[in-house]
This record gives sequence, C-alpha cells and structure tokens, in this order.
Amino acid sequence: MSDFLLDLSSNKRARATIQRLGLPIPMPESLRRGRGALVERPLHDAKVLVAGPVSGELHGVIAGTVARAGAEFGAIESAQEVAAYAEAGEAYGRPVKALPLEPTAKGRYRALVFDASTLDTAEELRALYDVVHFWIRSLDKSGRLVILGRPVSEATDVRQAGARGALEGFVRSCAKELGRKGSNATLIRVAKGAEDRVEPLLRFLLSPESAYISGQPFDLTATVKAPSAPIPRTRVLDGKAILLTGAARGIGKATAKRLAAEGAKLLLLDRPADGELLAEVANGLDGAEIVLADVTDPEAPTLIAEAARKHFGGLDGVVHNAGVTRDKTIGKMKPALWDMTLDINLAAINRINETLLDGVLRDESRIVLLSSIAGIGGNVGQTNYAASKSGVIGVTQALAPLLAKRGIAVNAIAPGFIETRLTAAIPVATREVARRLANLSQGGLPVDIAEMAVFLLSPGAFGLTGSVHRVCGGNLMGA
Amino acid sequence: MPVSTTNKVKKARRAVIVAGNRTPFVRSFGDLVEMDTIALGVAAVKGLLERTDLPRTAIDSMVWGGVILPSTAPNLAREIALDLDLPASAEGMTVTRACASGLQAVTLAVAAIERGEADVIIAGGSDSTSNATIGLPEKFVQKVGPLAMGKGGSARDWLGVLAQLHPINDIVPKAPKVAERSTGEVMGESAEKMAARNDISRELQDKFAVMSHHRAAKAIEDGVFDDEITPITTPSGKTIYSDSIVRGDSNEAKLAKLRPVFAKDGTLTAGNSSALTDGAAAVLIMSEEKAKELGYTPLAAFKSWSFVGVDPSDQLLMGPALSMPQALERAGMKLEDIDFVDMHEAFAAQVLSILKMLGSDAFAKERLGRDEAVGDVDWDKLNLYGGSLALGHPFGATGARMVTTVAHELHRRGKGSTALLGICAAGGLGAGAVMEAV
Repeated sequence: MSDFLLDLSSNKRARATIQRLGLPIPMPESLRRGRGALVERPLHDAKVLVAGPVSGELHGVIAGTVARAGAEFGAIESAQEVAAYAEAGEAYGRPVKALPLEPTAKGRYRALVFDASTLDTAEELRALYDVVHFWIRSLDKSGRLVILGRPVSEATDVRQAGARGALEGFVRSCAKELGRKGSNATLIRVAKGAEDRVEPLLRFLLSPESAYISGQPFDLTATVKAPSAPIPRTRVLDGKAILLTGAARGIGKATAKRLAAEGAKLLLLDRPADGELLAEVANGLDGAEIVLADVTDPEAPTLIAEAARKHFGGLDGVVHNAGVTRDKTIGKMKPALWDMTLDINLAAINRINETLLDGVLRDESRIVLLSSIAGIGGNVGQTNYAASKSGVIGVTQALAPLLAKRGIAVNAIAPGFIETRLTAAIPVATREVARRLANLSQGGLPVDIAEMAVFLLSPGAFGLTGSVHRVCGGNLMGA
Repeated sequence: MPVSTTNKVKKARRAVIVAGNRTPFVRSFGDLVEMDTIALGVAAVKGLLERTDLPRTAIDSMVWGGVILPSTAPNLAREIALDLDLPASAEGMTVTRACASGLQAVTLAVAAIERGEADVIIAGGSDSTSNATIGLPEKFVQKVGPLAMGKGGSARDWLGVLAQLHPINDIVPKAPKVAERSTGEVMGESAEKMAARNDISRELQDKFAVMSHHRAAKAIEDGVFDDEITPITTPSGKTIYSDSIVRGDSNEAKLAKLRPVFAKDGTLTAGNSSALTDGAAAVLIMSEEKAKELGYTPLAAFKSWSFVGVDPSDQLLMGPALSMPQALERAGMKLEDIDFVDMHEAFAAQVLSILKMLGSDAFAKERLGRDEAVGDVDWDKLNLYGGSLALGHPFGATGARMVTTVAHELHRRGKGSTALLGICAAGGLGAGAVMEAV
C-alpha cells in the first residue's frame, strides 16, 4: 500500500518536471520522523525562533524546553528583552542570536515558537501577525510552528476571550499553509497553574515524533495529580508495565515496538487466530508477555488482570487499540455487523477498564483509547464504526475526572488516514481522496500513532486528560 | 541535573603526598621516540626512588594510569615494577580514564591507603603517543588472521583472501586520531564547537596560551621544577633535561600567524591546542603515620575529589564545570576560599569555556542546582607555572604532573593553603579535586 505520489515526490527529477509543467498534482513532502527511540536532544544544533511580547508568561518554560532540547535560539525583536532566553542560552552554551522583525538573511529554522499568553485584545493579535508574516517562509521543511496561549474559559473579560479564541483559527489556517512543506502548526492552551506541565508536550510537538500532528490545539490542565518522580526525557516508559490490545499488526504492532524501545514491559493481547503473528511481535521485544483472547470474551478482563498480576504485579498503562470495521450502510447492515463492531470497539473497552481499575492499574497510570476521525466526522457505511469511536470519546471524557486524583490520565487518539491493512481494504478512489484531503497531503504511518501513544503513556503527559488528540496530518474529515 | 553531594567518606586515616617525580615532557615522534610508555614510566619511578631514597621493601603497590596501553602488556604498573626489580610483593594495577588517568591513579591510591589496604603506594601515569600500536585494518585481520594465525591454508586459500582485499584501504594501516569513538568527532573539532558556543575569541585563546608558555618558561628558569623532574637518557645515549615544548619567547603576534587546524574559519590552532607528547610522572603517597615513621615530610593531602560524565556529543570537554564545583562541595569549600587553581589545558578554548561556565549564574542555577555562580577564577591564581599547552600533555601523566606541582606549591605556602584541580577527558569525562597543604 505505498503512496504513489509520495514516492513520485521524493524523486527529484519527477518533482521538478511536474512543477515546471505546472501540473496540478499534489507533491507531498517526505516527513522527517523520529529514529525509533526518544533522544536526549531532539533539536541538537537546530535553530529555533522564539518570539512574543516581553509580558509573555510562558517565555521561561519555552526557554528551558528549547535549551534542553539542544537547540540554538534566534530571538525576534521583543523576545530579545526576555532574560530567560539569555539565561537558558548561557546555561547550555547556546548564545541567543538577536533577529530583527524583518529577516535580513535567508535562514532555515526548525521551529518558530510564539508566546501568545498575554495577547488580550484583537489589536494585540497584530504582534502575532507581524512575526509569523515575516518568518513563516524561513521555516525548514518538516518544520514546526507552535503557539502557546491561555484557555478561552479562563478569560476575565470578553475581549480577552476573543483574542484567546482567535489563536485556534489562526493555527488551523497556518497548518493548512504549512502542510505542503511537510510542516505543522499546533496550539497549546495552558491553564493557569499548568505552566510546569508545558515542557514535555512542547518538546514532543517540536520533535520529529510529532510529524503527523497538524493544526491541533492541546489543552494543558493541572487536573491530574503530578508524578512523584522526576520526569524522564529518554526511555520514558522504563519499567512501566503496559497492556496493549490488538498488538499483532498495523498500529498495534508499531506501538508495541515503540513502547518496548522506551523501556516498557508489555502485555500484548490479540485474538487466538492471530496467535502466531502476536508471538512474532512478542519475540522481538524484551520482556513482553502474551495474552491470547478475544476482547469480547466475557473472561477476557479476568484473564488480562491475572496475567498482569502474574507477570508484572499490576499495570502502569493500557492502550485500547483492538478495533474492527464492518462497513455497510445502516439500511443494509445486518445485526451481526452492528453487534460485533460495538462490542469490540466500545463495550469490551469498558469491561476491561472496570476490571483493571479494581486493583490492577496503579496510581499515576495512563489510559489511552483509540478513537478515529471517522468517529468525529462520520462516514458513509460506518454508522457502527463511528458510533463506537465517538463512544470512545465519551468514555475518555467521563473517565478522566474520576481518576485524576490518583494521578491517572485518560486520553484518546483519533488517527486520520493511516496506511494499514484496514485502510488498504478501502476502494482505491476513496482511499486516494482520503489521503489527499489533509494538510500534509499524505497518509500517516502506524508509527505516527505509536509516537502519540508513547507520549500519552509517559509521565510527561500529566498535563493532558479527558481529551481526544487527532493524529491526522490535518485531515479535513470531522475537522 | 544537580551535582551529587553524596559520598562524604569517613576516613580511617589520612594519606599524604610525600614527593613526585617526572620525566621531561617531549613532543611525540621527537627525542623520546625510542622509549615506550613502560620505559618512560620506569624512568619516572626510578627518579622518584632515587630522589626519595625510598626503601624498596616499603612499597606495597603501584597504581598507574595510561591511555594508549600496549595490547600485549596493558598492566603498565606491573611491568614498570618488574623492570625496576621491585619486590614481587609490590602488586600493581593500571587504570584508564583518558586524560584524567593520572589523577585517577593517584586518587585510587589515596583511597586504598585511607581504607588501610596499603601504607605506601607509587601512583602515576605515562603515555608514549610515538609508540602507539597502529592497528591493521579490521577486514585485513578478519580475512588474513585465520590463515596466518590459525590453521593456515594453501596457496589457493591465500590468493582467494587477498583477492577480496582492497589494495590500499584494507591493507595499509590508518593513522590514529584523537577522535571520540561514539561520535567520530576529532577532539579539536569538539573544542572548536565549544569555542563557538561559549563565545571564546581567537585572541583570548592566544592570550591564554602565551601566558601558559611564559609562566612555564619562568618556572623552569626559577628552578620551580627542580624537585619535580629528573633527566632522562634514551637508548641511543641522548639525555634530555627539561620540557622541550615550552616557548618562553612566545607572543600573541606569533600565535596570530598560525592557521586554524580543526575548522575552516576556526579559532583553534597548533599554538592554542596542547601537543601530542611523550612522558611519565609518578607520585609517592603514604599514610601519615608511615611518612612519619620513615622520616618523610608530607607535602599535601586530598580533601576531596570528583569524577563526572557529560554527553560527548554536547560540549565534550565541559566535564570540569561539573566536577570542580562538586569537589568544592565535597570539601565543604567555596571557590573564594581556594588559594590557587590548576586546570589541564587540553585547549585554551576548553579552559576558557569552563571558566565562563563557572562564572555564570545561569549555568549554576540550571546545571548545578545552585543559587549563584561557582565564581570567577582570577588568571593570577590559575596555572601558576604554566600548563599542558606549554609543557605538553602525555595523556596518562598529566594528572600526576599536576598533583606533584600543586603539592609542592601548597607546601611552599604552608598549612592552611588549598588548591582546586580540574581535568577534562575524552569520552565526556571530567575530574576535579581539592588538595590542602599538610
């Protein structure tokens, strides 16, 4: 199932010819992705632009994050007056380069980070326009634009609410413009009191691992009880026992690999029919254990709980990845197709969660559920699938507040079009359209979902809970 | 990450530095080319024994440091002891911690004596880059080795193997470089990057290098090293009396003419980088009681030491910026309490980068978990008698050389005086120590 246009686009001569002939063929950019394990300095020697009014409240966390990620600072205009950048630069041997508002030289910057936390009126938004207007073309391919702001719900007056709300539309549009360069734009809305939770998320959004996240807002809150130990930057799942369902192929298989690379001890589950495939996956991983069961089996939750207790004494994370499609327009859908889809994709998740939350899942655990952009936007022939996947969102939103005091975060991932066996089954015309109607003009890879799972399972994700996070390359469906 | 403050060792008794001795340091592939690292070590220890008139039976053990260890006889300490006909009971071990090997050997000896494992230990280090074993290319060894060393083979077997080897790449040995195995980066390139990241100008580096040369030249002239060096005679009969790399007539104008060696528009030159050197240095360490018993005047002792690791791909040579503060903390002292500082000068840029970090509040807050900077090291108190830039840097010997010179200076200044040492090392390591007069 390779992407023909992606292959064509990476051929320099083909690309040049198409562009010269002015053919209206989208040329998706090959994305810079992670190397299979998180590294200490993902932005080593990269140049990052920092900007924002001096009054910005988040410059400090931005400075620390960017410095620790190994990057060089280019501070635009008023950001130069912010001591935090000079201090971070001095501490890490990255002297800050002062840049004028209008660039004088051609530069290739990995990212542009803007602290918009104190833009309080429509007039003040002009500061954002100024910087991005001049510097967006200086972003490298597979670059990042990250804007940090505050939540609309916390605004103290209507004007401030308006300015805060504006950031989302701005970011979504920038993401659409940046897509053709393989670059992304994202927004982090930092609730008051959640400033110390910014670093891991900002670092993730600036790293190659977030290649397929485009145009998304993230709401950072201080709801979840903070982890007791210092937050690691590499081998982030060291020693964590994690249950992963549907691990035999596709997204599950890629996720298993990534989780193990971050030090996780895995409990892998799939149907007995896929036992051999699952064994293959498990054999390649250190310390991975298997449970062969159908998630809908009434005994499954107990089997899982017993296996978890036996091998690991408990669990530190769950990824509900097992899922099926049984497409048919609702008028023609037989009951079996409905029942199966709802049972596997939604009911089973609840049964398993209930059992695990009764003494298996430890405090400070992480629960990750797989939703889908079809769940958000709907699809012809997928009433059952979309119902189950949007049901998953409901579960996420309801479960999160119940577990926050235990330090457990609950999040959902909504994959866009990911190149797997599931999507290869889609008729070619529909598939092609589904791929292209995204900012990045291409499908994602299973590893893109795996990277999001790694982040959401890590201690550093303690600022996110109860939310759905699209990893869709800016797909139009349900956006 | 804050620097650890653990490791407050309860000492049963104190170990003291009683004397030190080294060979003159000479540029590699120069006058000492005929003497391998063991021969150099023998010369340094022989000189030490003669200088101190130490009864040979008193020696409990030898600890030696080296970087380029001969593959057929890597335990230099033992080989040196055997060559010198020391009693067989003078057991020996050899340690390698890149450029900090000499200091490591000394601190291991001090620790062993403090634990009561020995009373008298000779610790030191040596290196002869001239005699580094040059390896045959891997492919050559793997293809030819089994035939030449193993069961042997027919003419056809030999022809078959030789046909697989590239005539030049697979057969001709490659010249060894001082490069990091993990990153492939030549050390000078790492230092060049540090100079850029810490904003250290060419002019400042040259100024520092000149200072090193002038101070070393003056020290030699004033006889400061007379109690520290014994002349060495090579197999072909040549005698070398003093360090030959030092240039007393050096000045910034001369250094300014040199071309950058590690990067096209770089700031590091042969003038502000330490040279490949051959040499050895040894230190005589005893328990305080033993020194008294044998009638020796102790010169100095260690209050603390520290060894740290930093990421080799990110400012390879910044180790001392962490290890020097840690040594201070373990000694319960502040930089302003210290009388003088001695730092290994791998490159002027490296020393100056570290001084900047030590003087930075931001660095201290972020990397050391302190409220304010460690402090500003006054050049008047730094490397009083020159350093590796002028004297040369036989990798394993430098630490022992520094301990010797510092011990003598502390003794001259008298009780109550203290010194801080700092050494950066390949592999992203750093060493630090606080010494005091006894």
